[in-house]
Amino acid sequence: MHEIGVREVVQFAGWTFNWETLVMTWITMAIVILIAILATRNLKMVPSGWQNVVEMVITGLHSQIDVTMGKRGRMLAPLIITLFLFLLISNWLGLIPQMASPTNDLNTTLGLALLIIVMVHCLGLYFKGGHYIAHFFQPVPVFVIINAIEEVAKPITLAFRLFGNILAGEILIIILLKLMPIWMPIPSVIWLAFSIFIGGVQAFIFTMLSMAYLSNAVKDEHEE
Amino acid sequence: MIEINATIIAQILNFLILVVILRMVAYKPVVRMLKAREDKIAESLDKADADRAAAEAALRQNKETLAAAQTRAQEIIDKAEKMAREEHDASIQETKREIEQMKKNAQEEIQRERARAVEQLKGEVVALSMAAAGKIITKNIDASDNEAIIGEFIAKLDKEKIGDLPC
Repeated sequence: MHEIGVREVVQFAGWTFNWETLVMTWITMAIVILIAILATRNLKMVPSGWQNVVEMVITGLHSQIDVTMGKRGRMLAPLIITLFLFLLISNWLGLIPQMASPTNDLNTTLGLALLIIVMVHCLGLYFKGGHYIAHFFQPVPVFVIINAIEEVAKPITLAFRLFGNILAGEILIIILLKLMPIWMPIPSVIWLAFSIFIGGVQAFIFTMLSMAYLSNAVKDEHEE
Repeated sequence: MIEINATIIAQILNFLILVVILRMVAYKPVVRMLKAREDKIAESLDKADADRAAAEAALRQNKETLAAAQTRAQEIIDKAEKMAREEHDASIQETKREIEQMKKNAQEEIQRERARAVEQLKGEVVALSMAAAGKIITKNIDASDNEAIIGEFIAKLDKEKIGDLPC
């Protein structure tokens, strides 16, 4: 049990890193890779068992992408799958005692949100060029202010929504354990179950919003 | 509690590495698998279509061959029947002709016999007449004059009497 809000930091080459976040991230990565390998090993032409689930997820995501982004959105499929798996495992990792979610650190969530937003703008410029810049000035040039606020708000809301939910969940787990006597585990169990739900929902929301932002940039209006 | 430091860069890198690894380890094989299955299904469907078309073509050809064979068999039968009838007719014709010929020959034979009988009768009549005349006529006439007289008589007789002789 660590003290809330106090982070171990390590200095490396003049940079400061949150050690616990890094370690937890690596554990999460290992789990995600392990799941991926287990789910996709021994692929057969005639699917059975887990392969059906994996294929269903990927074909479902592909059809979703085809509808919202068009054909060139397919290259983003691995990113989206990875994002969801990473966030899900991250959120749930913190529910295990002695573990912490990588997503309870703003560095993680803001990093991912910034990555998504930078990708949105880069892909938008790459696919649409001047037209992409012009759409910030629609319908009248004054709207550029509102649009700019929106674009800045996107990563901040993405990052803080996830960060706040997960950190609050973990804090409440610690607080409940301290407040309740040891023979009264019901509030903790309820909150733990609710946290599992929140972890899934938040991972889903983050992924869906990322998809929505990306589809805005990638979608070809003339494709219809 | 909320402090942004170099961890943000490390987390972005971590995530990108994870994306690359997952893409390599899990995503690509699954997509390749799906594509392979799609191709296989499409190929199977194409092959099934081709097979069915080939089967239909073979069936059609068989039917055509059968129809042709039947037509040809009918032709052969017709020809054979026609030939048999012609042969039959020809043989009847031949028989008829032979019968006709035989009839003619017989009639000619009869005619000839009759003529010969008449000649023979004539000779006998002459001889009888001669004998009769020799007995009756006392006057000695030489044989040649006698014969001439008798021959004339007989010729006359022949014309007037023997013509009606029924033989």
